[in-house]
Amino acid sequence: MATDSATSAASDPGWESLARVAAGDAAAFAPLVESHQERLLHLCERLLGDAEEARDAAQEVFLKAYRKAGAVRPQGQVYTWLYRIAVNHCLNKLRRRRLVRFLRWDDPEERQAPAFDPPDAGADPAAALDARRRWQATRRAIARLPENQRSVLVLVRFEGLSYKQVAAVLGITEGAVESRLFRAMRRLESAQEAEGSRVSLEEAKP
Amino acid sequence: MTRSIDYDLMRLLHGELPADEARTLRARIFTDPELAQAYRRLESTWQGLSLPPASPVPPGFAGRVMARVKSKPAASLSWSAAPGWARATAAAALLVGATLGIGVGRRWPAPARSVDQGSEASQTFLSATAETSLADSYWNLVEDVATGDAAEAQP
Repeated sequence: MATDSATSAASDPGWESLARVAAGDAAAFAPLVESHQERLLHLCERLLGDAEEARDAAQEVFLKAYRKAGAVRPQGQVYTWLYRIAVNHCLNKLRRRRLVRFLRWDDPEERQAPAFDPPDAGADPAAALDARRRWQATRRAIARLPENQRSVLVLVRFEGLSYKQVAAVLGITEGAVESRLFRAMRRLESAQEAEGSRVSLEEAKP
Repeated sequence: MTRSIDYDLMRLLHGELPADEARTLRARIFTDPELAQAYRRLESTWQGLSLPPASPVPPGFAGRVMARVKSKPAASLSWSAAPGWARATAAAALLVGATLGIGVGRRWPAPARSVDQGSEASQTFLSATAETSLADSYWNLVEDVATGDAAEAQP
């Protein structure tokens, strides 16, 4: 997890890179991409639920960051700013995805769960199946959360950010983070109960 | 159970409760079965959330980003630099386009993909991909014009 603080802008060399980019030095952007690519790709994948789409999204996020280099005011950590761009970008993509489904009259339930990576071949098949089932259930549950709850949940649960860091990324108060997370937890509890009933029913089938 | 206690249990689970408050609450959980049950339920929901490990960074990813960055100067990529009237006009035009697009899309939905249709299916897939890509570019433009990216300029 990244260190958090009311960190001075000077402590993050990323701001210096961005200042050079703003002055016309495009190459100064490279170290920024190198140092943040992994985290941004992971975040996009968590939010979008699809690795391929996450790669495109992360590229777009970096391009957005690049073109905003001249407008940004150095404050805190660069990753906070990049995360904010990434969250907004991914949520917009999700909205578009819903619109495309609407235009094509797709059945939302049918396309709710994206494709999954195959489990590790060396793993115990029963454990792998169980893991896959939990991933599917988690993705379904996350996909059904309202956007504001989904982003908070992903940032806390899967990115390991503190409430304070999430508040900084999303530009909201810590109280709002807490409240969104609490409502998400309530929905997830219900979803897990329903999922448990569904699995029990499937297992009971001859 | 009060809402405040529910929130405290969640904070405890996430390590967000100050140390002394966490100690007090743990002691209460130890002696109060109802509280203990509520905490276990919360913990089980949280731990039940599981996703596969994220994919590794694809080789050459940073290089591809930099190639795209260098292909266009920063200023030409930004709508923020455009005057307000130009952005408003473009936003209105794009909104009209989107409305018309929705109407057309509803009248002629894309054909369903089928794995049994061989090369025909491949063509459908290719056209769907191109359509998505065009739609993505379009909506990127709409968002940039509409928002001016102002919120993201603030870290």
